Amino acid sequence: MIILAIIIGCVIGAMIGMNIPTIPYTYSGYLAIAIIAALDSVFGAITSSLKKNFDLKIFLSGFFVNAILAMALTYLGQKLNVDIYLAAVVVFVGRMFNNLGIIRRYYVEKIADKKILAKVEEVMKQVNKDDTKN
Amino acid sequence: MEKNKKTIAVIIGIVCIILVAVMFAQFRVVEETDITGIETAREEELQDMLSSFKTRYEEVEEKLIETEQKIQEYQEKLDSNEQASELLDEELRQTNLLVGKTNVEGQGVIITLRDNNEEIIEASDLRYLINELKLAGAEAISINNERILNMTEIVDIKVDDNNQYILVNENRIIGPYVVKAIGDQTYLSSALSLKNSGFIDSYTKMGKTVEMSLEKNVTILAYSGRKNQLQLRYAKEVKE
Repeated sequence: MIILAIIIGCVIGAMIGMNIPTIPYTYSGYLAIAIIAALDSVFGAITSSLKKNFDLKIFLSGFFVNAILAMALTYLGQKLNVDIYLAAVVVFVGRMFNNLGIIRRYYVEKIADKKILAKVEEVMKQVNKDDTKN
Repeated sequence: MEKNKKTIAVIIGIVCIILVAVMFAQFRVVEETDITGIETAREEELQDMLSSFKTRYEEVEEKLIETEQKIQEYQEKLDSNEQASELLDEELRQTNLLVGKTNVEGQGVIITLRDNNEEIIEASDLRYLINELKLAGAEAISINNERILNMTEIVDIKVDDNNQYILVNENRIIGPYVVKAIGDQTYLSSALSLKNSGFIDSYTKMGKTVEMSLEKNVTILAYSGRKNQLQLRYAKEVKE
């Protein structure tokens, strides 16, 4: 059900994004940093759901507050003539890679566990067969 | 539990809508600004361009100043040229006045010669009169509105014994002959009306009709004949 919601949401979002009027170039930098922050939140949410400690409130607050904060920092950086958005990008992308690593490890371990289990079961079956023969 | 899951799904769907919509909007922005080029250029490139533009601006400004100076020079030259051309204009006007290309007016005399029953007026009479007028300082003379220039001819043309006319500026004129002259009235009138030897006296003695009137304002028309009569074809200026 959640997967269905995600797919429908993506399709509708893509349609809306294609049809809204273009944003002026000056604001597209803020938008980019907001997207990075939001993606970081999404990967964080996937990681936490794999760890079975997913909290909708934390996800939502992280999703919006991170994005707005990143935009605000970028704005501040522009006013101070310091590229603060670079720090935000580094932090968010670093966390994204971190979370991706956790997700990857989880699935690799899961597959490995399945294989081991299958082998154990085979061995057990063999043992059982041997037992019945004898 | 089931209800909780539903709300989670809806909220996650909305979040997805927002995220993907914003992402696609950004994609479009990036794609479109790729076309314009300058907006996607790196800051360093822009700075380079800016500095090169600045140097070019300075060069162009220098050129502008130079050109403005040149324009000023030309303007000054033009002004002096205008003065020169004004002088030339003035000279031309004077010359035209002198030559007889313009209408002129001023004080002068009008002499009327008429054919009568006994005597007719001949070209020699007119020539004589004009010579007298010139001697008395006439500045402009015309006979029947034919301006007398230095190249004007005054000749008799005889068709037969009873029929003759006078040719002035290649135009036939017939009596009465009205000779207008501009000049000092007293000089002109006194020169013509000298006792016995003067033009009027001697001609009235000969039986010809001569009348003279002094006018405050005599108007003499410009030379109206063929233009090429005012051009010299054979006489060339001698360069010193």
